[in-house]
Amino acid sequence: MTSHFPTSRRRARTREGLAANTVGIAIAVIFMVPVLWLAISAFKPVSALGDFPPELLPIPATLANFDAAFGPSDFGSFLMNSVIVGILSTVIVVCLGLPAAYGLSRTSMRGRAATLTGLLVISVFPVIATIPPLYVSLRALGWLNSYEALVLPYVAFNLPLAIWTMRNSLLSISHQMEEAAEVDGASTMRTIVQIIVPQALPGIFVAAVLTFVACWQEFLMALSFNSNPTYQTAPVGIALFGGAFQLPYGTIFAASLVALLPILVLVIALRRWVVGGLSTGSVKG
Amino acid sequence: MSRHANGASLLVDDGNQASTNSNGASLIGSGSGSAPRSGTLRRTARSRRRGVLLSSPALAVVALITVVPIAFSIYLSLCRVDAGADGFDYTFIGVGNYATALRSPTVWAALGFTALYTVISVSVEMLLGLGVALVIDRMTKGTGIVLGLLLVPWAMITVVSGQLWSYIFNGVYGLANYLLVVTHIVSAPVSFLSNPAGAFVALLVADSWKTVPFVALILFGGLRTIDRELYAAARLDGAGSGRILTHITIPLIRQSIITAVVFRVLQAFGIFDLPFVLTNGGPGHATQSIAMLTYNALFQDLNIGYGAAISCITTLVVIIFAVLFLRAFRVEDSVD
Repeated sequence: MTSHFPTSRRRARTREGLAANTVGIAIAVIFMVPVLWLAISAFKPVSALGDFPPELLPIPATLANFDAAFGPSDFGSFLMNSVIVGILSTVIVVCLGLPAAYGLSRTSMRGRAATLTGLLVISVFPVIATIPPLYVSLRALGWLNSYEALVLPYVAFNLPLAIWTMRNSLLSISHQMEEAAEVDGASTMRTIVQIIVPQALPGIFVAAVLTFVACWQEFLMALSFNSNPTYQTAPVGIALFGGAFQLPYGTIFAASLVALLPILVLVIALRRWVVGGLSTGSVKG
Repeated sequence: MSRHANGASLLVDDGNQASTNSNGASLIGSGSGSAPRSGTLRRTARSRRRGVLLSSPALAVVALITVVPIAFSIYLSLCRVDAGADGFDYTFIGVGNYATALRSPTVWAALGFTALYTVISVSVEMLLGLGVALVIDRMTKGTGIVLGLLLVPWAMITVVSGQLWSYIFNGVYGLANYLLVVTHIVSAPVSFLSNPAGAFVALLVADSWKTVPFVALILFGGLRTIDRELYAAARLDGAGSGRILTHITIPLIRQSIITAVVFRVLQAFGIFDLPFVLTNGGPGHATQSIAMLTYNALFQDLNIGYGAAISCITTLVVIIFAVLFLRAFRVEDSVD
């Protein structure tokens, strides 16, 4: 494609590429420093955490912080709550969102554009606006300090973006097979499950991962609606560790590292799809 | 030469090849129709019904848990809400909560901080994000790795980020102070979190770390759609890098920029997790965001009506911003 350019120009392009590669890697490394510092600090003995100048490597490394986090602080129970709330919310979001995405992309339903715009507006609305009424309503229902206190709002707040993501990937699926199935007398549900779902899997995965990550990170509602530690999720546990004056950073970082693992593994494993979802979201939206 | 061989395959490209198996459909189809026009009409009506049926459960849940509560919040904000033994008692008091809120210097301080923070953080993050996106777009190797690594801060739990940066910005033993002292930028450790400007900078750095990758990924998606030949042609015409950026690149990724700005402005305006953990709104109330103020009114002062009034004011500001922004940039054009 660049063959008709003079050689000097091509050489300049190569130089530019090399420079970009170097700068790009440098940027990635800089962005990794804080998270490396988190990991390093999690393996330091508590006594070394306040050293200045700080020790740059955790030698000798210790698991004492992990013992503290999962022993006395019982961080495992916070993690378990995050897992339960995250998985329940994600499953419900996909089950409700996929049919809706289908309706909004592959039927001639009226008001599709208006509905999609409305969903987009809702998806970026500050959560704080709904905290007072939701708190009052959940309390009236006796649902404060429960899993449903988080699953319900998480489903509602993640559905809009999930619907958008899945709708975008449904738009690209050919209509032929679907029409064939319809003519053969397959029910709508069967058509969706057997013909649409297999082709839309990448979009469904992206929607599911984005939803799970959002639930896993959510803090404001988790803090507001569940004050009982029995139902508190990992972010609340991490934020409320320790007292007002001395923060037990070792315990906090050990717990944080474990809490980060699942979403980091998920996001990196599905890197291609997540990046695709984020970038096409903007192109299509 | 291999622009699409790396990690950022566009989702829309997937799943377009599976439609080869549709033989026989037309044979069965042609036998069962009445007049073609009424058949089409019936089919459209059925399709319409099916759309409503399929999307109504999700839309109902969204409306019930986001839209209805915002309406309920308006009522709450006009009441004095007392917590009784079994539930709340509502006494209608009119605009009293709003009057109190608008006379309170704390509310104005929080609004001022939140607005200033939004403007500064979004500007900084958009500039840095654009820079990072431009660099990644020019990379010839390792794009996938860099994109993968940039997802790490993006996927970070904000509360963890808050704790981590409070450790890094610690005034006695923080890593930030170590780096500043080693590079002779300062001679002695700075206590960032105990002065307003330092706390603001700490929030800005922590926030940018997490959101610059987000902005970069969105803008990178836009950059990928630009035809390389355009750059080459502009270069042949003698345009410099600066002119190419302002006259070709930025206009062509306008849609991605708008998306990123809207997302970031609304997120920044609702910021809660980071100041709650990193600065706790301090020193004093210097970094108390409007969301933190609402939270404190609700759960520390137990003043639900007042908290609802502040959150309604927030909602109003957000709506005004959204309308003005959509007007100015006609975002509705892009929704088909």
